[in-house]
Amino acid sequence: MPDNALLEPKTENAAAAAARAKLRAVDLKVAYGDKEVLKGVSLDVPTNQVTAIIGPSGCGKSTFLKCFNRIHELGGPAKVSGRLELDGGDLMGLHEVELRRRVGMVFQKPNPFPKSIYDNVSFGPRLFGVRGRADLDAAVEDGLRKAALWDEVKDRLKDSALGLSGGQQQRLCIARALAVQPEVMLMDEPCSALDPIATAKIEELIFELKKELTIVIVTHNMQQAARASDRTAFLWMGELVEEGETEAIFTNPRKPMTEDYITGRFG
Amino acid sequence: MAMDAPLAAPARPKRPWTLLADRSAGSIFLLCTLVLVALILGLLGFLAWRGLGAFIAVPGNTGRVLSLREVFLGLDWSPNQDHFGVMPFILGSLTVVGLSIALAGPLGILTAVFVTQMAPKWMRALLRQTMDLLVGIPSVVYGIFGLATLLPFLSKGWLSDLPAAGFLASALILTVMIIPTVVSLSMDAFEALPRSLNEGARALGSTSWQSTARVLIPAAWPRLVTAIVLGMGRAIGEAMAVQMVIGNNPQWIGLMRDLTDKTPILRFLFTPASTLTTELVQELPNTPAHSPWNNVLFALGLLLYLLTMGSILFTRRMAGKRA
Amino acid sequence: MRTLPLKPRRSARVADLAMKGLLWTVALGFIAALLVVMGAILKQGWPVLNWGFFTKMPETLDAGGGIRPELFNSLYLVALSLALSLPIGLGAGIYMAEYARPGRWMDFLRLCIETLAATPSIVLALFGLMIFVQALDWSFSIRSGAMALALLNIPVITRVTELSLRGVPHELKEASYGLGATKLQTILRALLPSAAPGLLTGTVLAAGRAFGESAVLVFTAGTNTSMAFPDFSLKAPGETLAVHLWYVVSDGTLPDAREIAAGTAAVMILVLLVMNVVVRLVDRRLKRHAR
Repeated sequence: MPDNALLEPKTENAAAAAARAKLRAVDLKVAYGDKEVLKGVSLDVPTNQVTAIIGPSGCGKSTFLKCFNRIHELGGPAKVSGRLELDGGDLMGLHEVELRRRVGMVFQKPNPFPKSIYDNVSFGPRLFGVRGRADLDAAVEDGLRKAALWDEVKDRLKDSALGLSGGQQQRLCIARALAVQPEVMLMDEPCSALDPIATAKIEELIFELKKELTIVIVTHNMQQAARASDRTAFLWMGELVEEGETEAIFTNPRKPMTEDYITGRFG
Repeated sequence: MAMDAPLAAPARPKRPWTLLADRSAGSIFLLCTLVLVALILGLLGFLAWRGLGAFIAVPGNTGRVLSLREVFLGLDWSPNQDHFGVMPFILGSLTVVGLSIALAGPLGILTAVFVTQMAPKWMRALLRQTMDLLVGIPSVVYGIFGLATLLPFLSKGWLSDLPAAGFLASALILTVMIIPTVVSLSMDAFEALPRSLNEGARALGSTSWQSTARVLIPAAWPRLVTAIVLGMGRAIGEAMAVQMVIGNNPQWIGLMRDLTDKTPILRFLFTPASTLTTELVQELPNTPAHSPWNNVLFALGLLLYLLTMGSILFTRRMAGKRA
Repeated sequence: MRTLPLKPRRSARVADLAMKGLLWTVALGFIAALLVVMGAILKQGWPVLNWGFFTKMPETLDAGGGIRPELFNSLYLVALSLALSLPIGLGAGIYMAEYARPGRWMDFLRLCIETLAATPSIVLALFGLMIFVQALDWSFSIRSGAMALALLNIPVITRVTELSLRGVPHELKEASYGLGATKLQTILRALLPSAAPGLLTGTVLAAGRAFGESAVLVFTAGTNTSMAFPDFSLKAPGETLAVHLWYVVSDGTLPDAREIAAGTAAVMILVLLVMNVVVRLVDRRLKRHAR
């Protein structure tokens, strides 16, 4: 445990919450060159809950999310300090491949591979050594069912994924991520490119999925955070301003800045 | 800037000649473009006129009219004995181009993967500089390099003690010459892919190479094929460098037939041969105009030109499919 | 549901590392190839390079010839061919970038430009031989060579012009129109100056290519030189450095053919390197000015 006194669990409740934390960031600092994107953020993400991260654009929320499966490393050499935990273990110590299998991710824009629907969903299982036809079929069906896409595409699994609508493509990406049986799903503004109906479907899906996994979702849509999440964290300029139960944050924020942001006075 | 003047002075109506110049400029620029169109058609027309003259009786021709069959299927090129088979040159070109693209294709694509996916900045700059210089080296300089450095090296005996001029030497030189083309077009292909594809694959737990091999290369494939085809186009049209190292032997097929070697592949790679382009360089100046011999050489030129057109049309179709 | 045995595979990690190693090897091999080619040429040619080599006339049968007329012819032909091809290439490039509308006509024009750019120089050589040398009866001369070389340059300059013009920010064009400039004034006074760095680089590259070209010139400018120096006559035979290099090697009558060729190659490599540096400097300079 870090010896920073402020971060020590203070009450019995907090200690219980920390024990249940699936993901944990302690005093996380990230800098690209001279630019400090995160300036010491600490956050617990509880198991089987949906945690929303909100904040104005450029506040570092997307970088924060990406640190949890270290996909930020693709953006160039970043200086990271602080501690990141998955199930209480050091996340930086895991091999990235193993980490990313356990912590899946869905991106802002749907990014299906230019392959068939089947090949998209079976891509992950194949990476991890699943070869048998029956196993792959099962994994594909399972992923698509969980992503509530099975009924729409079961008759055209061999068709190109690029022929699907935007909302379907995003659900396909969710199915693809689910097919490697992750424990956590990171979602980076997953609905920002979708229309309201498709958005509603994804939100429904999030509600279903949290029974099996832990979800962290970045969103700039206040209503979405209020509707879909159990807990909300508000980031501003690379710092965590406030976090807590979603209801509390939205009805009774402790910090005036949070209130200003939620009510749309800035951002 | 020149534009400031009208602001300072009271606006004057435009002088008539300004407007006239503006109106006629478009037609003048169009005319320049039409020069290019005329060139393309002119090339085709003149090459066809002289090239097809080998097969059709044209006034001014000397000698006999040849049949398409004896020329394009004939294996024997001995113009002095009235044999005009150009198969040795076609097969020679195919061999040299095939060998060089078999090397330059994979190497070029891999280099492009390296540059776009993992090279540090300084290495990227260094490779770009390298390619610029490799493209800039004139083909005769490649030729003299092949003659003075590569051939002695190849015939030192570590690969074979045969005289080294031939297919292998030509293919190696051509590989170096066309790799920059393949690399730079392949780089364009990878750079055109959305970054999210790689991110998506990596987020599922792909290693960098798995993402490249299973997602990026398949996604970029149509453009990679285009890169290879254009590289082949350069290889097939290259004349001087190949002519200097290939040994120039139109009878190479016969030579191969007579040999009973223990290592036929090595023998093949070190056979002095000829290609479409080297044959033109070699014999064109020595042939009397409008003789069957001369006309057949122009037919080879026509064939090269049609191949160029074909490859460009092919890349067009690939681009159309992509859209 | 059934849980699949998903295990990160060691083989994938090993393959990843192996490929990284292979890619580095390929890239470094690429650089090594350049160094070997350039190094070998310079090493063999260096001993030949002395004052006499640059100032003497070439020999036909004896050793010790120079390259004075070839050097002159190379530069003269490059200059002439650029003078012929620049106006046409610029005009066609401007048309493609500013006048042609997307559609079939433009597709066709682009097809023509691409085809011409991809046409092997030996094919252009045949054309030049047929038209300039034979039909117009100009024989192997500077003028035949300059015309044929211009054919080679035109598509290059057209493409460079079009690309550079398309790279000019749209605001600049709007600003110019906003001040009441006509289309032609906009192109000449606003677009071309700001496209200048690209145009200049492209022109130097075209010049470099023309400088190294041999196939086209063997059949149009010929393999002889004028005995006068400097001979600006367009009717004089015009063997260039590249052609000279090729000719002494394939003709083989000179006892020191290899040395002459190596020296000539070294000169060409040096010219190439100087051009490369000049392009970089000019490019940097112009870009700073534009800012």
